[in-house]
Amino acid sequence: MQVDPNYLSNMASSLDQVQATEQQLTTELSSGVRVTSLSQDPLAAGENVLLLNQIQQDDSFTSSSNLVTGQLQVADSALGSVVSEITQAISLATSANNGTMNSSDVKSISSQISGILDEVQTLANTSYHGQYIFAGGQTSTTPFATSTATSPAVTSYSGDEDVNYLEMPNGQKIQLNVPGDQIFLGNGTNSVFGALNALVADYASGIVNTTQAVSDTEALSTALNYVSQQRVSIDNSITQLTDATSAVSSEQTQLTSAQTNLMQADVAQVSSQLSLAETQQTALEDVFSQLGSASNDLFSKLQP
Amino acid sequence: MGTINTAFGIMTQALDADQAALNVVANNVANANTTGYTEETPDWQENAPISINGVSYGTGVTETGATSQRDRILEERLDQQQQLASASSTRLSALNSIQALFTPDSGSSSSSTAGDIGSDLTSFFDSFSSLEANPTDNSLREEVLSSASTLASDISSTAASLNAQRTALDQEAGGTASQINALTASIAKLNQQIQSASPDGDAGTLEDQRQQDLSQLSQLIGINQVTTENNGLSITTTSGQLLVSEGQSFQLTTGTVNGVTDFFLGGADVTSQLTSGGGELGGYLTARDQDIPSVLGSLDQLAYDISTSVNTQNNAGTDLDGATGAAVAGSTTGAWTLDIFSPPPTLAANEASGGTVVAGAAAAMSVVMTDPSQIAAAGATEGTGDNSNAVTMAALAGQAFVSGQTPSNYYSNFVSTLGSTVSQVETENTAQNASVSQLQTQNDALSSVNLNDEASAMTTLERSYQAASQVFTMLNTIMDSALNLGVETAVS
Repeated sequence: MQVDPNYLSNMASSLDQVQATEQQLTTELSSGVRVTSLSQDPLAAGENVLLLNQIQQDDSFTSSSNLVTGQLQVADSALGSVVSEITQAISLATSANNGTMNSSDVKSISSQISGILDEVQTLANTSYHGQYIFAGGQTSTTPFATSTATSPAVTSYSGDEDVNYLEMPNGQKIQLNVPGDQIFLGNGTNSVFGALNALVADYASGIVNTTQAVSDTEALSTALNYVSQQRVSIDNSITQLTDATSAVSSEQTQLTSAQTNLMQADVAQVSSQLSLAETQQTALEDVFSQLGSASNDLFSKLQP
Repeated sequence: MGTINTAFGIMTQALDADQAALNVVANNVANANTTGYTEETPDWQENAPISINGVSYGTGVTETGATSQRDRILEERLDQQQQLASASSTRLSALNSIQALFTPDSGSSSSSTAGDIGSDLTSFFDSFSSLEANPTDNSLREEVLSSASTLASDISSTAASLNAQRTALDQEAGGTASQINALTASIAKLNQQIQSASPDGDAGTLEDQRQQDLSQLSQLIGINQVTTENNGLSITTTSGQLLVSEGQSFQLTTGTVNGVTDFFLGGADVTSQLTSGGGELGGYLTARDQDIPSVLGSLDQLAYDISTSVNTQNNAGTDLDGATGAAVAGSTTGAWTLDIFSPPPTLAANEASGGTVVAGAAAAMSVVMTDPSQIAAAGATEGTGDNSNAVTMAALAGQAFVSGQTPSNYYSNFVSTLGSTVSQVETENTAQNASVSQLQTQNDALSSVNLNDEASAMTTLERSYQAASQVFTMLNTIMDSALNLGVETAVS
């Protein structure tokens, strides 16, 4: 049987291979990452892209929802103040309607309600970071203005009906605003401003037309209920956002751990492979030195 | 007397033959480390016996030269396997450079690992999601533009790197042509020498040199060897084009076609045949003409679809100044007023250079919008505080507009496919290298100088020389007796 006399140099290439393996394992161990190039695990690399995409989206949503929550809370507290102003107006009107007041008291009630209307208008014109929040899509122009050209005065809305939504990673939409005319002008029938302007006109002369005044006061009560209902939709959005944020947060945690498991090096496994490779290298080097020593061929034995 | 003289003659011849054989052994030992040297064994030829009066007398031995221990078939198999191994290892190193551009993101920080196109895509569409919350906010709009910039610059710089790699491969491929030509010329010359020197048998050292050249040539380019009459050799490429025909070699010439180097043999463009032919040249050409264009094509598709879809959607909305998008008058590139990305090269421009609709989109991708208020977050007929167009643009991330897939899915499949290709070539290369080393071992076992064998051959010849000289001495004594006719006297 013939023997390849070059077997020692072939072993040199095996030694190279072992050293290359050791190097790769050491890199894996020090970086903690198992998949350092696409060819090591193509499917994991592809999966990694998708997982990271999802994780990033969740992270971005969490930041946006914090921004939006601030805006919704400002809207909610503005409406809360509106509710208490209207409640006060209703009690003023009721006291004026019971017929026990004199003319100058009634006139003063008219001016107090006028003051309340100004307050409510200021609240209706609330802005957040420079944008009017009750103006629909026309957030750069003041939505409400009152014209005293007629009696009763007319408060008009210059915004629009546009509603903005925030889309969640799962496709659900959260309403971010309610158009001002829907809240304060009640589509004509439950108008807060309409009722307040009517009451101001009712008490302006100091003489109360009871039927008219009572019906206007009732209109204001109805309008108040209406405002409270609109407020509920803002509150709902806040609740939805909080729930959504915590759901997204926990999804993000799960996905992060899945991604880490996918891509991270198994330290125990890599360490044992590295130790095997080192043993192999030492063994090869020993074989090399034993077999490669000079006194091993026939020529050296043929000394005369 | 005559018989004793004849015996002297025979012994002299034996001593000469032994000396000649020792020469062969010495030559072997001297060339033990010469690359491509094949071990030679001395040839012994019994001299024709003489017949006198019906009695035949032997006439000794002649050493007629040396035979190289070589197996032509084995050498050819080794060359063929080396072709394959060298093609796959050249291709593998090109592929490794390509895949290094797409190293997987380890995900350690949420959205700011620069250089990973996958996370750039997500950040870009996420910037629109953030804009939904507050569409008029200037810093959120700036964020949209900056993430668009990051995406465009990562895609375009990756495309630029791929193009640079392609140029480098092109140069390497071109460089092999001159080496190939030198080798084929050398083989042709050796063919002539071999055919005239030893048309019927193994040509020894000349054959060794020819085999060396063949081995180097097969590493460079895939070849088929055809043995012809009178120990000649014809070499063709793997797909049949003639490179060497006995004493004549044909030059491989290069020329530039469509911006890359093409190869010509006898006037015909043989580049596509050479690509699948094996050898380093086959590896370079496969990487240059198949692998890189495929990766660039995918990037181009991604860049093209994103640029055009995002631009179209932005032009369909209302920006912060209340304007909606319109075509720019007199634009040759199809630009619109609210374009975020530069419009990709037009089809007409691509067709002129033989490319597809999307060619060059990745290398040319850049952000042209400079004013963040031009981002149309609001819907077409809505007020500036509306966010419906921002919602639509953010939702693009989940729409299958990149060749039937969402951008993330497309990129994910792209990296998986690239990784699989590289992994497959790695496996092939490992298998082929193993096969080459196995064949190499077999070949070395047969043809390499084994010092132990030489030592024993030398000892045998030494003994045989000693024996012959001993016989000579004996014959001398016998002759001596014959001369003295049995009487012990002065002649000795």
